Amino acid sequence: MTIRRFAYTTVALATMVSAGAASAQEITVMAYTGLFQDLYTKAVIAPFEAANPGIKVNYAPQPGSAAMIGQLRAQAAAPQVDVVIMDVSVAKVGSDEGLYTKLDEQNMPVVSELYPNARFAEVAGVAVTFDNLVLIYNTDAYPEAPTSYLAMADEAAKGKVVIPGVPDIQGSSLVMILDAKNGGPGVDGLFDKGMEAMAPIAPNVQTWEPKPEVYAPIIAGQATIGVGWNARAQVNSDTSGGKLKATIPAEGTAFQVNIISLVNGAPEAEAAKKFIAYALSAETQKRFTETMFYAPTNAKADIDPAAIDRTVLKSLDKVVPIDWIAVAKVRDKVTEEWRRRVLPLSR
Amino acid sequence: MTAAAISKVSGRDADFGAAPIALMLLVPITIVNLIGFVLPVANLAILSVSEVRSSGAMTGGWSMAKWLLVATDPFYWELLWNSVRTSLVITALTLAVSYPIALYLHRSTGLWRNALLVMVISPLLLSAVVRTYGWIAILSDQGLVNQGLMALGASEPVRLMFNLTGVTIGLTEILMPYMIVALLAGLGRLDPRVEEAAATLGAPPWRVFVRIVLPLSLPGIALGSLLTFVLAISSFITPKLLGGGRVFLLATEVYDQAMVTLDWPLAATLSIIVLLVFGVALALYGRILRSIG
Repeated sequence: MTIRRFAYTTVALATMVSAGAASAQEITVMAYTGLFQDLYTKAVIAPFEAANPGIKVNYAPQPGSAAMIGQLRAQAAAPQVDVVIMDVSVAKVGSDEGLYTKLDEQNMPVVSELYPNARFAEVAGVAVTFDNLVLIYNTDAYPEAPTSYLAMADEAAKGKVVIPGVPDIQGSSLVMILDAKNGGPGVDGLFDKGMEAMAPIAPNVQTWEPKPEVYAPIIAGQATIGVGWNARAQVNSDTSGGKLKATIPAEGTAFQVNIISLVNGAPEAEAAKKFIAYALSAETQKRFTETMFYAPTNAKADIDPAAIDRTVLKSLDKVVPIDWIAVAKVRDKVTEEWRRRVLPLSR
Repeated sequence: MTAAAISKVSGRDADFGAAPIALMLLVPITIVNLIGFVLPVANLAILSVSEVRSSGAMTGGWSMAKWLLVATDPFYWELLWNSVRTSLVITALTLAVSYPIALYLHRSTGLWRNALLVMVISPLLLSAVVRTYGWIAILSDQGLVNQGLMALGASEPVRLMFNLTGVTIGLTEILMPYMIVALLAGLGRLDPRVEEAAATLGAPPWRVFVRIVLPLSLPGIALGSLLTFVLAISSFITPKLLGGGRVFLLATEVYDQAMVTLDWPLAATLSIIVLLVFGVALALYGRILRSIG
């Protein structure tokens, strides 16, 4: 008798909960923690919730793309996350494992507004932001912007260089840019010339693992020069009162691509699609670019010229193309080359 | 029924009841261990023989590739050797700096002893991350140590971190409380009257230490060393923060493979190797304890 009453109560409660859920939908968006979370919430999530009062967005912060894929793999049978924003090479892994639903013009019309390089044949999601590698420097040590990545090889930079080393994609991007500029073999030759070009820089490196990120030691003056991502560098430049600045040197820059994906079996797929469409729309892309200086992926986004100056949009001719999907396939070999050829020079 | 018969029956009942009670008491820890240890380790073993593409995508198939790689690539042998050697050095250093403190603590009494004990144990209340950042402030080029050296006339700062030196200094300090507490437990066996007797019989202090104090504290030394070694070889936050990407240890490699390169099977294989090292350390500890008697 008691068991039957317990069962009735449970069913009644479950019905009430699901009825409540139907009247106010909740979606979970998983993306980066820290600065990205703060600014993405302000520029995208809060305006989305204001425009869609029936949908509440939970932000599930993760330290990086690998941690996100770990969560998605663990939940594959019963996903708790609806939308995820992560780096393209990890998004490819999730696509290969069938963790996402393919987004295209049919199920997501706004996709037709995106730049061609925002779409990847082997990736289920589409690009939501473009970031790019920059040379970052402390303005006390460098009153004038350095013009080459090789400034990190100068005597003045001895013990003052910070680079997130391979397999981090910041160090990897640097090797690939230097490889391209030195007429290197690219991905098929494991960026041989890029590895070679790192030889004079490596002995000057203070740490290959700046924590929590590369910007803080340069702002503090513990280091003076290094490489990082443009969006975070621009925001850190503002918050540090100009102690840190970023520049695209003569050798050029490379894109880092963040993919937005719809999780396969998402609990609230329709609301999630609404959110993705909103995140990719020209208006939202404009607002996020002007807040955090990621380059937009929607070709129709009409960005304020002052913000354009601080994104890669004004230097598109300097972008060295990198096929991240091809790079992901040889990542272990590139890491091995790095450990064999570059790291020993910095001991 | 006679009284004797009753007592016989109830006695048998008591015997009969003791075993199930003991078994029942073991049930919670067995369940916790199954869920918290046995299952994850089994999962790790399965993961280590799962097939993965170089991009990090799991295929769903099986492969011994990662075990073969670890067995044949000299890099991983070097990694194992580096980890064991570094952890042994840290254990020896921790023992050397902790022993005098533990001995002094053992001999102090009353309020003073309690105050000292709190001072020794209180670092454990702070996370290792915070203490490691503290070491960064002390060991950096503009840190306390280098400022002192420069004031004494050094021409340029000494590289004290972002290398093995930094990792060794940081981990030694972080692991000291564990060593001291283990040594204190071992020193409990030391009866001051034995030392006094030795002194009365004319033994100089150094001989009292070598022949009486040290042998009697060996179980504490063994326990403290085991704890410190196991904690050193499995720690990754301090080597990550103070190693500067130059110090390669098993634990940091597990993190890199799992979180950066996305090679979960390789990370699982290396984790099992760390477990095997634990097993060897435990077996050695058992042997040492037996030989001490």
